[in-house]
Amino acid sequence: MIKYYNVSKIYSKNIKALDRINIHIKPGEFVSLVGQSGTGKTTFVKTLIGEEKADQGKIVVGGWDITNIGQREIPVLRRQIGVIFQDFKLLPKKTLFENVAFAMQVCGGHPRKIKKIVPHVMKIVGLNNKMNRYPQEISGGEQQRAAIARALVHRPKILLADEPTGNLDSLNAHEIIELLLRINKFGTTVLLVTHNREIVNRLRRRVITIDNGRVVIDQEVGKYML
Amino acid sequence: MFLSFIRIIKFSLQDIGRNIWLSLVTIIIMVLALFTVNMLLVVKVIGGTAVDAIKEKIDVNLFIKSNAVEDEILALKAKVSRLEEVRDVVYVSKVEALENFKRNHADNPEILESLRELGANPMTPSLVIRPNSLDEFDNLINKINAFDDNIIESRNFSNYKVMLNKINTITEKVANAGLLLSGIFIFITILVVYNSVRVAIYTHRREIVIMRLVGASRWFIQMPYLLSGVVYTIFGIAIIMGLFYPFLTLLQPYLETFFVGYNVNLINYFYSQAHIIFGLQFVGVAIVNIIASQLAVRKYSRV
Repeated sequence: MIKYYNVSKIYSKNIKALDRINIHIKPGEFVSLVGQSGTGKTTFVKTLIGEEKADQGKIVVGGWDITNIGQREIPVLRRQIGVIFQDFKLLPKKTLFENVAFAMQVCGGHPRKIKKIVPHVMKIVGLNNKMNRYPQEISGGEQQRAAIARALVHRPKILLADEPTGNLDSLNAHEIIELLLRINKFGTTVLLVTHNREIVNRLRRRVITIDNGRVVIDQEVGKYML
Repeated sequence: MFLSFIRIIKFSLQDIGRNIWLSLVTIIIMVLALFTVNMLLVVKVIGGTAVDAIKEKIDVNLFIKSNAVEDEILALKAKVSRLEEVRDVVYVSKVEALENFKRNHADNPEILESLRELGANPMTPSLVIRPNSLDEFDNLINKINAFDDNIIESRNFSNYKVMLNKINTITEKVANAGLLLSGIFIFITILVVYNSVRVAIYTHRREIVIMRLVGASRWFIQMPYLLSGVVYTIFGIAIIMGLFYPFLTLLQPYLETFFVGYNVNLINYFYSQAHIIFGLQFVGVAIVNIIASQLAVRKYSRV
């Protein structure tokens, strides 16, 4: 599903954010990408969603070579990769329903389709009874669930979770990870970018460890090693 | 596609509404620019009317001796008429000249009394010659001066050229000043529209981030801001039309008093040419606004 062949990203002479990275993630896998701050995790995420281009190597997503992806193709790629972040990125003046619907509206979704799909994904994330609430009226964990619902509306092949539990207490963090596992069970490839040792160790799934822009450990059932 | 277009319009109107004061300032500056442009047009129309009015009055008078025989006068008239620079020649007899004089001084009893005391008709017959065009005026004068007919008593060539040049110079100066003022206002409009779009983008930076994240096309993200420029133009043109016609209604009586006997109707002019005048202004301002918006969008929408 995601293939990185000798990918490097160099910001300046001495700063190699990614250094000849080779990663192959199969469809339906749940992979944790770990590493300390400044090791290249964010650059990896940026190259995956087309925000940054690799200086060397080749990146293939779902059979599509996105190494030199054009500006016009980036939106198509991003509809295939659902992304959630630590800060949820919800619009405070929109209800949860409107926030999730917004993702479909801006991509030309028909109102009938929006009315059908949004309640469905809200049900998946367990927010079907809070669709008319505003983000500030719900907990952080629920806000992250809403963000996940928004990431799911395009039925992405990949769900990229960049530090999704960074702003949550352990209980809410646990619930979010449970939700990600459930989504993974439906067949969606999940890539969890984190430096939360406890979560990674409890998952007992594949762990790729990045240090200084290089893949230093790649274990099928791994642990947080740094 | 249609749905996306409707949503773009909706987002654009939301942008304008959320930054209502900035939008108002933008529209007011644009209205000022348009008002200057339209005033320029008014000056041009008035200047043109003044020049036409004077051109209508340009003539050359050949005064004939009182004792000249009518046949000789008509022969001279025929000779003058044959000149290529002449549009027409009117023969004013002694009697007609006296009547004209009396009519022109009907409200001056002292002059009329003096005329009565004279007892005889003191007027001389004349030929009133009108040139084809002002450009041929000098040639015409040269040719008439060359006539050596002993029935000619005197020649009167008023220097209309100087007067016309003065009017043309004034009109040109006013037009240039207006052009400069319009240029300044258009430049300010570009800056203000640019800034409005920049602020709108800043206000919506969170939405833009999410739009990019969920796969909205660049076209969809940028179009509302470009459309804002067009919406400002629509409001600007509508307001200027709403303001300018009442302004012309106020101006019209003064013009009619000034140009008595001449057809100078600005309201009719602006009504009959409305589609061209305001259509062109709409297209021009829309282009200016879209360029300003495009510059701001290119620079600031990469959130």
